[in-house]
Amino acid sequence: MVSENAVIVFGRRGCCMSHVVKRLLLGLGVNPAVYEVEEKDEEGVARELEAIGGGGDNNKVQFPAVFIGGKLFGGLDRIMATHISGELVPILKQAGALWL
Amino acid sequence: MNSPTSHFVPPRRMGVYDPIHQISMWEENFRSNVSLSASTLLIDDAEIKFDNQSEYASHGIPGTSKQYDQEANRLADKIQRRLAQNREAARKSRLRKKAYVQQLESCRVKLMQLEQEVDHAKQQGLHIGGTGLGSNSLGFAASLNSGIANFEMEYGRWLEERNRHTLALRNALSSHMGDVELGELVDGTMNHYFKLFGMKSAAAKADAFYVMSGMWKSSAERFFFWIGGFRPSEILKILVPRIETMTEQQRSDISNLGKSCQQAEDALSQGMDKLQQMVSESVAAGQLEEQTNTPNMSTAMERLAALVSFVNQADHLRQETLLQMSRILTKRQAARWLLALGEYFQRLQALSSFWANRPSKPAECLIP
Repeated sequence: MVSENAVIVFGRRGCCMSHVVKRLLLGLGVNPAVYEVEEKDEEGVARELEAIGGGGDNNKVQFPAVFIGGKLFGGLDRIMATHISGELVPILKQAGALWL
Repeated sequence: MNSPTSHFVPPRRMGVYDPIHQISMWEENFRSNVSLSASTLLIDDAEIKFDNQSEYASHGIPGTSKQYDQEANRLADKIQRRLAQNREAARKSRLRKKAYVQQLESCRVKLMQLEQEVDHAKQQGLHIGGTGLGSNSLGFAASLNSGIANFEMEYGRWLEERNRHTLALRNALSSHMGDVELGELVDGTMNHYFKLFGMKSAAAKADAFYVMSGMWKSSAERFFFWIGGFRPSEILKILVPRIETMTEQQRSDISNLGKSCQQAEDALSQGMDKLQQMVSESVAAGQLEEQTNTPNMSTAMERLAALVSFVNQADHLRQETLLQMSRILTKRQAARWLLALGEYFQRLQALSSFWANRPSKPAECLIP
């Protein structure tokens, strides 16, 4: 699933922060795939995602977790920071998530 | 009989809880004892004279050497005694004066503290009633939570420091300070803002509602409040025109920054809406006539825990915006921008004061 989608967001079901990530990406014109994790599955999913990981030095997965271009990008913090610095949009374009 | 201090007996035990009364008592005693000492001296002088006369009178013939010696000795003794008593009286007088001055000092300090509290509360645009500061919500919230009380104290100090930075920036710019030094000043000012975000994060853990309420800010600042602080895109819009010369690239970068801020703010706002909806649902779930101790309260509480994250994310956004501005601008431009930022907040606080002191009769409304 991670490799199939340009952008995918893993978040706890009903989590407001996941909602923030989704709205931000949608606002940019990205249509992210969303996987809602049940509370009981959290640990298991986190392990799996860490294994897939492949991105950056910090492999620990916290929800909401965003994968761009098959690689773990980070959480809301990183999304916000890179968006403000202007780095996010080029990365999304490169991953094929944005065409404009 | 001769010691003036033996007349001074405190009418009751003096506790530390009534400094004003204590001072007036000290004052009275101080004065009365001074006059007692003086009068005792006079009495003593008169006594000496009287003694001399009586000595002469009772023994009749002056000039006899033995009598003369005895008289001289008695006189010398008396004089010595008087001098010693005077020294003692003076010493005790000095001690009392010292204690009196110390009382005055501590009262002065207390008065200054009270004045500061009143100023601070007035800044918040709160009404100072006859019952004192405890009657308003600022005092109420602070007294309930040590984390919040701590934050309020620290925030007071933070504000003073922020005002110092603003003044330093103004002076630096008008005195054409060198770029390196100016750069350090800019970095220092920015770090100071980041420090506030850290303080707010700790306060949010103690009571997120409190940080969200903005009660720790002046009323005009609260008017513009967005998730625990200023709205980054607004700040950019208002203050960027204060930077005079910018390159085309800079203008374009800042425009993009403004757009990004707006998008991030919208996303966070929508997240907040969702949180409100969820909390409201969990509070209203089940029969509304039921008791408050239903499981729904715990659900609502769990959901509200996300409020801390929102405060943190909003501050994170503010921090990133400040950082990005510092990347786009030169040090001198950044100094101008930060100066404008500091002044803007100071003016909002001033507006809050004006508002708090506005005339109460509608007929006297201020004509702009």
